Amino acid sequence: MMRHLILVACAILAAPAFPAQQIRIAAAADLEPVLPPIVEQFKQATGINAQVTYQASAALTTQIQNGAPFDLFLSANLDYPRKLIAAGLAEGLGDGTAGSPIVYAKGALVLWTRKDGSLTPSVELLRNRALKRLAIANPDRAPYGKAAIAALQKLGLYEALKPKFVIAENISQAAQFVDSGNADAGLISLTSAKTARLTADGRYFEIPADSYPPIEQGAVLVSRTQQRVAAKKFLVFLMSAPVQEQLRRYGLTPGRRVP
Amino acid sequence: MDWQAFFLTLRLAGLTTAILLVIAIPLSALLVLGRSRWLAVVEALAALPLVLPPTVLGFFLLVMLGPRTAFGRGIIAVLGHPLAFSFSGLVVGSVIYSLPFAVQPIVAGFSAVEPNLVDAARLLGAGPERLVRTLLVPLAKRSIIAAAVLTFLHTVGEFGVVLMLGGDIPGATRTLSIVLYNQVENFDYAAAYRTAALLLGLSVLALIAIYTTANPRGDFRRSRRA
Repeated sequence: MMRHLILVACAILAAPAFPAQQIRIAAAADLEPVLPPIVEQFKQATGINAQVTYQASAALTTQIQNGAPFDLFLSANLDYPRKLIAAGLAEGLGDGTAGSPIVYAKGALVLWTRKDGSLTPSVELLRNRALKRLAIANPDRAPYGKAAIAALQKLGLYEALKPKFVIAENISQAAQFVDSGNADAGLISLTSAKTARLTADGRYFEIPADSYPPIEQGAVLVSRTQQRVAAKKFLVFLMSAPVQEQLRRYGLTPGRRVP
Repeated sequence: MDWQAFFLTLRLAGLTTAILLVIAIPLSALLVLGRSRWLAVVEALAALPLVLPPTVLGFFLLVMLGPRTAFGRGIIAVLGHPLAFSFSGLVVGSVIYSLPFAVQPIVAGFSAVEPNLVDAARLLGAGPERLVRTLLVPLAKRSIIAAAVLTFLHTVGEFGVVLMLGGDIPGATRTLSIVLYNQVENFDYAAAYRTAALLLGLSVLALIAIYTTANPRGDFRRSRRA
């Protein structure tokens, strides 16, 4: 018996052999439906394996500030990468300089409801009395939460809707609040709305893009990386035309071309 | 300092502790005195909230208590609103989340009671209710106090369930642990230190107060001499 246990323990502890080259990417939670196929294609093209950690951009920023061993950071906004650059912890390659993050994608904000409810997503719905609870991501830190507040202010609905807010930790939780039927509608990302689950369960309405500041997502190289060349390769791959076009499928639009 | 969140947290922890003592004392007595094989299953179920990550537990509750299940619709019919995003929803979540912290110490305390005493009481005709009230509870008083303290503190520090079920509504579901988390996530470290200091300071004081009153030192020596 004991011998078996020891064997099992050894099997568990035996670390898998590391591939020749591996980069570690810290990626915003909204990229979870987007990055896996891109990472797979990158491996096919270069043989470099990218290991991705998906979390809230704010949390990843804190981790990088405290020395987390990431090579690249793909944020859901530009503020956090800029903050890391300002602290000397990261380098941007945007606009051909080391001083600004690469804008690798732009996000879009949508109003989402379940199909089986009586509510149809539209600007009118936001004025509808039947809307009792509106889920939004935390506007203090979640880029889509900030955009949601900006859009409601621009539409002149913020004060009326404020008592109806239920605040989610991030965009996927905002979607959960609505998908589970606990909130009537949610302001979420087009990326979330296009996932298989939410496509099956609900409908969305794209909030007019001129009613909120663009949700530009920035990428930076973490300065203490040991994998500078491989990490830069991934950025170049991410900014290549075919990959940028692919982003549309997942509800993101291409970023800004890097000269 | 967010005093509204502070008092909400105390109210949630107090109410959860009261409800759990009412549930845990009879449940623990049943587990200790009962003879059915099925009680092992009940005991296992009562320990399960320890296994699930709190955020996952919160997510299950969000779905189960929502309008998409018959159970959730029943609740909504009674209350007029879903349990999620409300104080009562947090109470339900906290009771489930802290159940093992109430049950385990009380079961241990009841189990430690001399079996001869239980047999004697039974021979003298004490029914289960009287057995618990006049024998088990007085003899396991310390375990019950420990259960109450643990339940209270565990609920004060509860975070994952509240995060998943609460929706961060001031005065209804914004507890101190959510405030603290928000401060950390928003890089407002100075405020986070203050909130954490308040939480820790008060907890230490409360614990010292409880342990000095519940465990008079020298008890053990006195009972030896007797």
